[in-house]
Amino acid sequence: MSEKKPYSTDELKILFGKEEIEERITGLGKAISRDYAGEELIMVGVLRGSIYFLVDLSRRMHIPFAIDFISVSHYTEQINQTGVVRITKDLDLSITGRHVLIVEDIVDTGLSLGYLLRNLKTRNPASLKVCTLVNVEARRIVEVPVDYKGFDIPNIFVVGYGLDYNEKYRNLQFIAEFDRYRQ
Amino acid sequence: MGVITISHEFGCGGDTIARFVAEKTGFLLVNKDTIARGLAEHGLDVPTDRLEDLIEDEENEQLLRQYVEAMHEYIYDLAIRNDLVILGRGGSVLFRGYPPALHVRLIAQFNRRLQRVIKLYDLNTETAVKLIKEQDRQKRQYYRLVFDVNWNNLRNYNLVVNTELMGLEDAADIIIAAYRVHAEPQEIKDGPGSVEIEDRLFEDAAETEAEEFMHPSEEEFARMLDFYRIRWEYEPRTFLLEWDSEGNVLEAFSPDFYLPDQDLFIELTTQKPKQAWKKNRKIRRMKDLYPDVNVRLIDKKGFESLLKKHSIDQDDEGEET
Repeated sequence: MSEKKPYSTDELKILFGKEEIEERITGLGKAISRDYAGEELIMVGVLRGSIYFLVDLSRRMHIPFAIDFISVSHYTEQINQTGVVRITKDLDLSITGRHVLIVEDIVDTGLSLGYLLRNLKTRNPASLKVCTLVNVEARRIVEVPVDYKGFDIPNIFVVGYGLDYNEKYRNLQFIAEFDRYRQ
Repeated sequence: MGVITISHEFGCGGDTIARFVAEKTGFLLVNKDTIARGLAEHGLDVPTDRLEDLIEDEENEQLLRQYVEAMHEYIYDLAIRNDLVILGRGGSVLFRGYPPALHVRLIAQFNRRLQRVIKLYDLNTETAVKLIKEQDRQKRQYYRLVFDVNWNNLRNYNLVVNTELMGLEDAADIIIAAYRVHAEPQEIKDGPGSVEIEDRLFEDAAETEAEEFMHPSEEEFARMLDFYRIRWEYEPRTFLLEWDSEGNVLEAFSPDFYLPDQDLFIELTTQKPKQAWKKNRKIRRMKDLYPDVNVRLIDKKGFESLLKKHSIDQDDEGEET
């Protein structure tokens, strides 16, 4: 961390440090490169939290691949009361007949990822798998396949490495537990 | 033996209708008063009127439990030798697993009930409104606390009769006619089973609109499931948790939601952890008794996290972004 912190990080409890994360991502990069060797792979980052993870993961890959992004709306109490989930930024590339790896920062309830998987499946990719940096099985409502994961965590709220609280803490190089009820 | 259960909103004419049904069928009428008398004969002298008071006060849990157990036992006992018309007291839940039983629910618009109550008890409007609301609240609470069932879920009944536009004796005749059809079921050629899948989907959507929830958080959760296009059912099943040596139900649990595609039951609680212990105990017991059934408790914190209540930016709070 630099001397000038953009905000206080005193209230954070570090769970996974920079090196531990790097090591884990290196392992994931190797595994994915091995599994997709010789295939036409598109890595799909789910905006916005996954960008840090996607960038670092892609640098640990040693096979060719394409990158694309997708963004879906989330349910909130205040808005969208009668709406349904929708894609707010769609893929630019066609995934039909190609191998797709969805890259998430975190998978918890599985609600929006479940929707995304159903949606992308209709476009007939050759295969559709999920890679997430953080997996929170304890919060799962919809069963979703997680093929590659960085870290399993219990039912706690975490920030850093792309994960935010009100857009804060994304740029931290570590993953930390954040008690938002103390705020 | 034959069983007709009648659940009623206050001021629908439930007492009179139940009496008519009993007289016309020759079934034995079981209501608050007959239960109180019956239990007193067995030496358990808790006036049924006090039941509501017991529910109000948590201190009395042990006594309430004892009383409810005795009452259930008494009703089940009666049913062995008699045909019964059971008014209120959760009869529809007690005989839920008994197919020959017909479960009736009486409803009427609030204003109609109000008129009736004013006339019947000679009350002013203000007092009558209070009385109806209080009585309905007590019924809701009774079902919730004793059976964990939503009293207002009309799908728990076989027949719903709106008593606004008919005489009470006519309502009784309708119930009796329904009971006869119910007791001797014929082959149903145009029942829901033969409806095309597409039609069913629309019907489900329409039902969703009309669902009555016990708690605003449940409604919110249902909206969220709709948002993610996840199919759900509201309180579709009751799990028996405890019964006495004769198989009579003492405790049951109805999880709030069932997600058929996930084969998952979900119970929501927005209670503080201190008050949620009862629910936690029920869920633990359910997991013990039904290890193959998936049930998940979403607590207050988890629920708020789902709704992103604490977020300023509504789009993104580190959840599957």
